[in-house]
Amino acid sequence: MKTLRILLVAVTSMALAATAAAETTLRIFIGGQQRPDVMRKVADEYQQKNKGVKVEIEVGGATSEAQQQYLNTVLASKDSVLDVILIDVIRPAQWAAAGWAEPLDGYLGADKAKLLPTYLKAYQDADQVDGKVVALPFFADAQFLYYRKDLLEKYKRPVPKTWDELMETAQIITKGENNPQLQGFSTAGAPIEGTVCTYLVPLWGAGGEFIRNGKPNLDSPEARKPFELMGRLKVAGVLPKNIGEIATDRIRVDFQAGNVVFAQNWGYFWNRVENDADTKVKGKVGVTTLPADKGGKSATCIGGWQLAVSAYSKNKAEAVKFVRWLSSPEVSRTMAVLASNLPVFPQVYKDADVLKANPWFADALPVVEGAKSRPVTPRYTEVSDAIRTNMNAYLSGTKTTDTALADMKSRLAAVYR
Amino acid sequence: MAVAGAPRRSLSERALGFVLLAPAAALLLAIVVYPIAQLVWNSFFDIHLAEPWKGEPFIGLDNYRRALEDPRFWSSLGHTAIYAIVTVPGALLVGLGLALLANMPFRHKWPVRLGLLLPWALPLVFSGLIFRWFFEYRQGIVNDLLTRAGIEPLAWLTDPGLARTSICIAIVWKSSSFMALMLLAGLQTIPRELYEAAEVDGATRWQRFVSITLPMLRPAIFVALIFRTITAIQTFDIPYAMTGGGPGDSTETLAMYIQKTTLDFLDFGYGSALAALMFVVSMVATSSYLRYTRRSAGRD
Repeated sequence: MKTLRILLVAVTSMALAATAAAETTLRIFIGGQQRPDVMRKVADEYQQKNKGVKVEIEVGGATSEAQQQYLNTVLASKDSVLDVILIDVIRPAQWAAAGWAEPLDGYLGADKAKLLPTYLKAYQDADQVDGKVVALPFFADAQFLYYRKDLLEKYKRPVPKTWDELMETAQIITKGENNPQLQGFSTAGAPIEGTVCTYLVPLWGAGGEFIRNGKPNLDSPEARKPFELMGRLKVAGVLPKNIGEIATDRIRVDFQAGNVVFAQNWGYFWNRVENDADTKVKGKVGVTTLPADKGGKSATCIGGWQLAVSAYSKNKAEAVKFVRWLSSPEVSRTMAVLASNLPVFPQVYKDADVLKANPWFADALPVVEGAKSRPVTPRYTEVSDAIRTNMNAYLSGTKTTDTALADMKSRLAAVYR
Repeated sequence: MAVAGAPRRSLSERALGFVLLAPAAALLLAIVVYPIAQLVWNSFFDIHLAEPWKGEPFIGLDNYRRALEDPRFWSSLGHTAIYAIVTVPGALLVGLGLALLANMPFRHKWPVRLGLLLPWALPLVFSGLIFRWFFEYRQGIVNDLLTRAGIEPLAWLTDPGLARTSICIAIVWKSSSFMALMLLAGLQTIPRELYEAAEVDGATRWQRFVSITLPMLRPAIFVALIFRTITAIQTFDIPYAMTGGGPGDSTETLAMYIQKTTLDFLDFGYGSALAALMFVVSMVATSSYLRYTRRSAGRD
């Protein structure tokens, strides 16, 4: 009896001690390429403002697919280890369907109607699925054309507006420089997510649509355009010979080594090629909209990263609070200055500090506003795989336009039944 | 009395045997039998996590029918077969050479042994990344050597034939050290006297190798072959790290397709059926080895 009483006392005092030191630990998942170092600074600031909250950062793989593969295993097993997760703009439909993202409507309450219109329109749409708020935007992104200002000036060439101009200028410069390492135009070509945009951007730039009336629109003449364009660029020697193994960040590495004239890439590119310690192109970089077809309208892929609260989190209320703070103009500004992340609030693009760090943001707003979404479906990973493996096969020279399109069509048929 | 006591004691010994085996059996049931049974069970259902509103209906053998009609299943199986057919004998030959080398009377044995162990101790994906750098178009060491020799650089990782070749080279490099370790253990069980007797009888080096080393090594070779074949059928990490299956799907293995179907596409039903088919393939391959060993054992 006596031992029982001692045990009881011990247990109660332990329980009391636990409540006294109550501290919520929030674990946020962020990809290796999304500047976890900057996230740490932001999280430290949050911890100071909110005593009793500790933020742990889990750093994932360096690509969207690598991160999602890991998250698929965590969430399919209903693991509660993660509270807040940074997800790619292509994911909310899948996350909503799988029930992995906690719908935020209940937490936002009356604020929902006030909060949502403050974001750029594209993200209001991307983060709501069937009228429910699945995530809140963290930073915006789009693909741009980066170019070597110094080389264009040297050869007195204008900034290209069409793909034909880009090809001509690239040929003149690579010929004139006579440097075998110099690539005319680089874009993602490996079988990775970025290669989906390598297909879609020229398609849109020619006025085409990938999905029409809910079905893939691959019989249209525009569906052939990206293959024809990349084929011409490849034959002309403007694309790198190893385009089939070029991944997103590889373009950045080559560009900042001074080996690329034109590059199609996301917003993070600027900060790295201008500020990295080993960059050879500091002050020589220009940014503009991606080229279009002659007489066509420039188009680009929308990117950006969203903050979702895990449906299996044990600290949902605290997690939503943290997400709302991260998804605020204040943090958006910090991320823009420190990581050249494009803001999700229109007014932040005009902020003086932001413009000082990223002078090109002044022109970036209309580009982001006009950027188009990759197909929205819960089975996006299958759609992406069909596009990127066939584009990669075409770029590597193992498929023709006809076989690549036919294979793409037959794989997509299973998804869009 | 003693006669009646004997069977009772043996019965309790049997019972004790079961009791002692029970924990291991339970563990195996929980971590081997249960997941495999669950996998086979799942393969009869349409389970797609990205479309949970469809429910998880029972669809019988539809997933298997789908696999048989799926060109990507056959092409990934074909690539897996290529890797197995090239790298199993390849690793055996290289491994045998390494084992014979390591079995020579060196004054310092450890550097040789360490050299043997190193590729085996490296994580698979790590070896894949190393070889990706070797075969990379612009910065790869292989193309660098080619250019220095005045030969045009080759697109090792973006040409289907060359990509498969590079992958096979990486797999042979990685797996022959395991082969060598198993064969080295076998070599060391061969009694010295046999060689000494053969030498006295005037046998040449080659005769000694063919008539003593190879026959004595046969059990070790079979075990090594079985292990290597099973891992060859499961090839995943090295092509995943080197090409990601590209160009297109031309280097994708069955294991990579299963991983993609299940973890990327979240199509758990179909992924389970593909995995069950892979299990069948590796059972068929290993049982043919076993049948062969049993037959040759009977002949001896």
